[in-house]
Amino acid sequence: MDEAFEKRLPNPEDLGAMTEESLKAAFAGESQAAERYLVFAEQADEEGYPHVAKLFRAISFAETRHARNHLRVMKGIGATAENLAAAFGGESFEVDEMYPAYGEIAKAQGNAQASRSIRYAVKAEMDHKRMYGEAREKVLVGQDLDARPVSVCLICGHTVIGNVPDKCPVCAAAKEYYKTF
Amino acid sequence: MADAFKNTPPAPEDKGAMTAQNIAAALAGESQASQKYLAFADVADAEGYPNVARLFQAVAYAESTHARNHLSVLGGIGTTAENLKGAFDGESFEIAEMYPAFDAVAKLQENKSAQTSIRYALKAEVDHQGIYDGTLKGVEGKKDLDAKPVRVCPICGHTVIGDAPDECPQCGTAGSYFREF
Repeated sequence: MDEAFEKRLPNPEDLGAMTEESLKAAFAGESQAAERYLVFAEQADEEGYPHVAKLFRAISFAETRHARNHLRVMKGIGATAENLAAAFGGESFEVDEMYPAYGEIAKAQGNAQASRSIRYAVKAEMDHKRMYGEAREKVLVGQDLDARPVSVCLICGHTVIGNVPDKCPVCAAAKEYYKTF
Repeated sequence: MADAFKNTPPAPEDKGAMTAQNIAAALAGESQASQKYLAFADVADAEGYPNVARLFQAVAYAESTHARNHLSVLGGIGTTAENLKGAFDGESFEIAEMYPAFDAVAKLQENKSAQTSIRYALKAEVDHQGIYDGTLKGVEGKKDLDAKPVRVCPICGHTVIGDAPDECPQCGTAGSYFREF
């Protein structure tokens, strides 16, 4: 992309604390809208509205642009080594603190479906934490990851580098449920 | 797909209020992680780490599956007509309340980039609100949208149905950069 193109993006800025709070909230809102619209697109496809589905996907993309702009202004986008460190930190928090706490409360309240949704997430975040840690080691010495496929279970998010298992070890979905990147 | 291995996302559940609050927080966290990783993937590509970029994209997708699971548990996935109404209401809130309030704060604090990021989003949400409204009327009469392309400006998220303009009316980006859905 040419310079003129990049130039139109809002730049990182030293922000007033209240403005930063606003952008954080806007980033959270845009991010959730983007995810909701992707799910709504699948629902529209199932109901036989392919063009409504396409609309939801397009608007989801628009919201990702807003999310990215807000994140950029807040200086949330660094060099890849920094981004991997931030990603590792985020996954660690979810694995060590957030999901264990949420899991306990869901169990105490007898919420079986919530417990399942939490278990699926925490298992995958453990894989992500490890992968981000290893990727960061490489990038710190200027190396890329190996060119192996990364595959994700579309039910539970289980993430694997290399061969896809016959059956997801977390949720038992068949290997046809994996999406490969 | 073999039925024996079939699996589905966690189902809606309405039990503990604390659990619902936690799942809502987890939905916000997963959605934001997904958006961050997509932005980080672009940086990794630009820095010449295509395989790290692929890892970020795959993990972003995994976080999207978690966001969808949490949204499902919260009962946030309805019929397409309900989803369009929910989307319309979300856009309306952003236009009528959220972004005007955030913009006032950013102006007060003289944060120029923040104002740009807010303006880009607000203008696009007005597009989305109008498009969702028209689409909902169609779906209520069991009519899909017309088979026209939907085009989105990759800088500001401006969204049009049909041809891209020569230049984005919001941010001046050339129409040739618009992404087509």
